[in-house]
This record gives sequence, C-alpha cells and structure tokens, in this order.
Amino acid sequence: MTKPKVASDWLCGCAGCHMSFLDIDERILQVVELVDLRATPITDLKEPDKDGVVVGILEGGIANTHNEHVAKQMRERCKILVALGDCAVFGGVPAMRNFFGAEAALQRAYVDAESNDSEGKIPCSPELAELTRVRAVSEVVKVDLHIPGCPPHADVIFYALAELAQGRIPEIKDDMLHWH
Amino acid sequence: MIKLTIDGKTIEAQEGTTVLKAAEEAGLYIPTLCNHPQLTPYGGCRMCMVDVEGARTLQPSCTMPAADGMVVNTHTDKVLNARKFVLTMIFSERNHFCMYCPVSDGDCELQNRAYDEEMTHWDLQPNWQPFEVDASHPFIILDNNRCILCRRCTRACGELVGNFTLGFEERGANSLLVADYNVPLGESTCISCGTCVQICPTGALIDRQSAYQGKEIEVDHHIGVCVECSVGCQRNVLTRDNRLVRIEGEWDAELNHGLLCDQGRFLPLEDDRGRLLTPLVRKDGSLKAATWEEALNTIAQGLGKGKGLAALASTRLPAEDLALFKSIFADNLHGELVTSLEEGKATASLAKLAEELGKPFESSLDNLKDTDAVLALELDLVEEHQVPGFFIKRQIPEGTTLVVADGKENKLAAHASVRLPLTAGEESSFLENLLQAIEGKSADEGLNRAAEVLKAAEKPCIIYGKTFAEKADAKALQHLLDLAEKLGAALIGVKGEANSMAAAQLGLEAPFTPNGYQSAYVLLGDEDPSQKLVKRLEEIPFVVVQAAYSSQASGSADVVLPVTMWAEQAGSYLSLDGRLQKLGQALDAPEGVLTSQAALIKVAEALAVDPDTDWKASLKARIPTVEMRED
Repeated sequence: MTKPKVASDWLCGCAGCHMSFLDIDERILQVVELVDLRATPITDLKEPDKDGVVVGILEGGIANTHNEHVAKQMRERCKILVALGDCAVFGGVPAMRNFFGAEAALQRAYVDAESNDSEGKIPCSPELAELTRVRAVSEVVKVDLHIPGCPPHADVIFYALAELAQGRIPEIKDDMLHWH
Repeated sequence: MIKLTIDGKTIEAQEGTTVLKAAEEAGLYIPTLCNHPQLTPYGGCRMCMVDVEGARTLQPSCTMPAADGMVVNTHTDKVLNARKFVLTMIFSERNHFCMYCPVSDGDCELQNRAYDEEMTHWDLQPNWQPFEVDASHPFIILDNNRCILCRRCTRACGELVGNFTLGFEERGANSLLVADYNVPLGESTCISCGTCVQICPTGALIDRQSAYQGKEIEVDHHIGVCVECSVGCQRNVLTRDNRLVRIEGEWDAELNHGLLCDQGRFLPLEDDRGRLLTPLVRKDGSLKAATWEEALNTIAQGLGKGKGLAALASTRLPAEDLALFKSIFADNLHGELVTSLEEGKATASLAKLAEELGKPFESSLDNLKDTDAVLALELDLVEEHQVPGFFIKRQIPEGTTLVVADGKENKLAAHASVRLPLTAGEESSFLENLLQAIEGKSADEGLNRAAEVLKAAEKPCIIYGKTFAEKADAKALQHLLDLAEKLGAALIGVKGEANSMAAAQLGLEAPFTPNGYQSAYVLLGDEDPSQKLVKRLEEIPFVVVQAAYSSQASGSADVVLPVTMWAEQAGSYLSLDGRLQKLGQALDAPEGVLTSQAALIKVAEALAVDPDTDWKASLKARIPTVEMRED
C-alpha cells in the first residue's frame, strides 16, 4: 500500500500551528511511517506535487492575492483540504485589521508607529502581493475539515493526521475542540 | 400540577411555569444564553428553541408557558440546526474572535454553547463593524464588540440592583449597550456593584482586576460571608497561587442571591496598605523588629490589669476572636474598659431595649424583598449597607414607596416619594409627630403623606441606621415600637461593621473616652484606625497594637503584633439580622504572621491567663435585638 501524500503551507499566520505540529515530538516518526510528507514549510519541497496529494493543510488566513493563489493551488492539488488553526478557520488575529481596513493598518505600521522615523513609507513595489480583507480559508476555497485552536494542541494535530492517514475524517469535538 | 412530555419523558410541572423551567426541574438540559435563573425570562437569544408538537415554528422554551399535554422535542434535526444557525448569527454579528478575549476557553458561555454543538467553524463571516471600547470606569471595561445583545446586564442592573444605569441605544445590529444617555460608564450613575460583569455571558463586560489573571479552571473558590459590613452577603472568593483574583457574589446565597456592592466586590482587591510581617517593639524611642517572644515579654511587663487597662477590638474580626478577646481582657484581666472600636454606637441602645423587652424586636432582611412601603430613618443605603438598598430600589418601579427621614444629605432620598427632615437628636419628637399623623392628628403635609403610604402598606418595613441607634433616647425607641405595632411593620436595624451584632452580644459597647488609662491593647485586625482612635492612643503610656497593616496606630504603638487579614483567617460572623455565618480561610498568611486568634492565645499565655473558649455560649448569653439563626 502506498502511503498517502500530505502537503502543507502557511498563509497569513504566525507559523505557530506548524510549531504545534512539530510539538508532536517523536510521534513525527509514526506520522512519516503512515504518510508521505511532501511540500511543507519545514521540508525542502516548496509546492504541492502537480499530480496531487491526498491531504492539503493550510495554516493562516487569506490576507493578500498571493495567499489566494496558494490556497487555490492547494485546493486544486489535494483531495482533502484542512484549515489548521484559528486564522485559517476564522481569520484569526490578522483579521483584526478588517475592523479598520488595510490602508489604516499599513499607515499605522509603516508611518505612524512610534518606532518609525519621519521617513516612514508604505512599501509599494509591484512585486508585492496586494492586500485584501483577511478571510477564513473557507471563504475562498472549499474546506473539508476545520481544526480550530490558537494553535491547535499537538495532540489534536497528531490525532487528526493519524485519522486522515488511515482514510478517516477525524471528529473534532469535546477535548479536541478549542478555539482559544 | 400539569403533565407534559419532553423528549419522550413525561414530567410533572407547576402550572404557570415555562417549558425551560419544567425541563430543568426534571433534570433535562436545554442550552440557553440570555436566560439567567435570577432574571425574568426574556426570549432574546433564541438559543433555547424547542419543537412543540402542533406549533407552527420552533418556540423559545424560556418564555413558552408549559401546558398540560404538551409534547416537546429538544433534539430533533430542526432544533439542532436552529441552534447552530442562531450561534452562527451571533458569532457573525460582532467581533467574536476568541483569541483576543480573556474569557475564552472555559469562561465564555457563548463559546461553550458552540463547543456543545460541536461547531468547528462559522459558515458566515463577521460583519466587521467596530464599536468603541469604554474603559472609563475604574473597575469595569465595556466592550460592545463582544456583546451578544442578550441584555442580561441591563436586566440585572434594573431588576436586581434597581439602579437602571445600563440600557440600549439604536436597534438591530447597531444596538449599543450604554450607560445612562450614552455617557462613559466611568462618568455615569453606575454604583460599581459589578453585577453586570458577573452576569455577562461573554467578554463584553469584564473587570480590570481579574481579566487575564486566571480562568475558572485555574482558580480556587472559597465561599463565605462578606466582612465589609453587617449585611452578611455570601461571596465567592477566587484565588490562584495564594493571590486574590476576583470576588463574586454567590448566586445560591439565600439573602443576596449573587449581588454584592463595590465594597464587597472590588475594593478588597484594591487594598495596597503595607503589611506588618514581624513583631515590633519600641526600643530607645523607635520601633524595632523583634521576635514573638520578645514582643510577648514586653507585653507581659508593660500591660497592666484592672483599672487603667483599656482594650478595644475591631468588629471586622470573627466572633470567636471577639469572645476570646472579651474573656482575656474583661473576665480575666478585668480591664477598666473592654469594648469594640465601634464603641457600641450602632447597637447599644437597641441591645438595651431588647433586654428590657425580654425578647427580640427586630426582623429579617428578607422582609425588604417583598415590602410595599419602607421608612428609612437616618440611613443612606446608597452609601452604606448597599445590598438592602438594592432590594428597596428595585421594587420602586413596581409600586413600593419609600419614605426617607434624615437631616443630612442622603442619596437614598433620590428614590423616595416622601422626604422628611429629621434632625439628629430629635428622633423622639419626630416619631411622636409621625404617630400623630398616622392617627390623623397632624397638619404637616409631609408627615401626612408618609402616614398615608405607610398605613396603606400591607408589608411595611422600618429600617434605621447608626445615627438613629446612637441618638435615639428611650422615648424615641418606645415611639419606634409603637409605630411598628400600629403599622404592623418589620423593624430592621442595620448596625455597623461585619460583627457589630456579635460585639453587642458580648457587651463590647462601652464608649472610649479619655480616662487616664495607663495601658491599652488594640485588636485592630485589618481595620484602618480612625483619627480619633490614633489621638486617644497617643495619650496612653503603653499601647499594644495587633494589626495586619502598618498604620498611624501601629506606628505610635509600643508593641506591634502582626496578624492576618480577612482572607487569611476563618471564623463566624453574626449579621445585622442575626444570621450566624462562616468565613473560611482563602489565603495562606505570610510567614511569621499569626491569626488574631492565635496571637490572642499567645498573649493569654504570656499573661498567665486561661480564657474561656466557648464563644457560642458567650454570644447567646444576652437577649439579642433579632433572633439568632445558624445556617
């Protein structure tokens, strides 16, 4: 039996969910026994396989056009898409800026912040992705499984991965369910 | 009794009850949000929707009257879907991103309901409409962004506290919780009782003191009586790592059912007085740290007995301590003056009256909960003993009339329909005139109006304060009894500090006047000494102060013994209406600090005195003004 391929990526998040994934510690050996870990922020491969993976995991909300592209690509290339953590599930901490708008957030960060000098400028290179309203992943692409938490506990991530690897959809409830 | 079927189970219920209450009494769970056992059902959140056979739509069980033969289902797909939909709508209405919120993960009823329904996400995105956060209040933060518009706070403010500060402005999604006519909460008519914070199901109303200091699962609970006044409210003291986190009113308490005032809830956490951590002995004119042994030796040498010895104790101390204090200083050392720091001002005249009558004449505070007319004599229940004031204020919209008689500025008078001038010292003539008005023999318009409302009442109450107890002479007290008899009124004397009545029972009520005392023992506990006390003590050559905090009194003493504050000791308190209640120890005392009781026992040993420790018998040795009951 071939092991199911799993890929992950992070969008507008803090990497905390991937840190929590690493917090499964030695259990990662059990995970790689069960799955073929492909492109992730912690492996060398950077994009999910063109011929597809079984499980795609996304951390972070969708805050700009690049995030949109990554989310859509992951959706196209995976069978089961998992939104991991409160930012992917709800929008999370970055979504705070939605209450004020991206312009105000940029102005505050690059110009008005106390730590800036008088020459603070909002970066405007055409290479930069364009900011959008921060959205939950499910607002942009269809999500098959939501694992909330800020971050989700390592035990929850391990449980979810183990279930997915064995072809089951994990039930996130009771002790496994925390939004933080 | 009626019979109805809920989820296939046939249950009996009282006629006139709601589906929710019937279900709860039968042990069946229906989730709720806007509902609260202490409040009138409101039907605002739609969390408790149930399927009633024959009804066109789902019905809110909190407001739906239970009827005979009704068949109710709480777990159909329709109901479960409706619950999720209601929650999704609430979450999408405002800023319910849990990671920013201090009540997240355990202390939020909204989040808990979502967990119960196994919601891993919301299908609707938020509305992204920001509201201003009001942080103008010294204790409370009001964040409309987290409000679910359940109106528990506004209902509690009005229905339970009778303050009517909180209300709503605008409608629908723009609804805004505001104080008064939308002024900052800190500048509003809010009296900082904190009931709104305690009843808020989300983080919309949080208190500054305990936010982020510990969740429900991280704190220890200590339920006991409040020691800030003689009302005897039950509190829930939350601690974590030997530190006070928060004080809440105990919802299940018979008297205060969750209510507290600012003194009981917020002010104890603001205490920043310096602690006394070691015994001090005056050497060469200045106080020096000493061992307990040195301090006790100095007391044994310096403290006199009999004539020339004055001993005073705080009425914030447990009854056990007060009885021990009395046994040591009055019964064994025969001190010339053995009294409380209140000097019996709020109790002595009344205790004497009870003795003369040979029976109690005062009644329980519960009488205030369904009274239809109250006469408050020289008492401002807005400033002191506030919780009984809530009982009165909250009934005023329902027709309870309040008559306030006072000569001083009195904030309770703002709620009164009749205000009468009463100069301190003229209680006798005032009550005589009121009696005449009741007999229809007065020409005074105010007195006649008061007489009219009091006479018309079915359950009138007369409540009086310290000034009245201090100033009323025998004649005035006789008039008071006559008045109560004529009106069929309950008499309630509010007394003073937490154990004011226990001190009265022990006869600790003599006035402290200069009398050439040679030595004094002051059991201050955690009380702040008055300027008058400090001055009086300065005239006494040898003074021992037993206190928790550094003060002018400890600074000028000859020996200082460090003792516990209220949360570090255990004991009993006799409320103003005779309920004997317990306070348990919530915190460990700092090292080297003894409880007042342990310190007294050490002092007794040092003075070779063997005190009586049957405190309960001592309390019962005198006829009380109000019947004593033990919970």
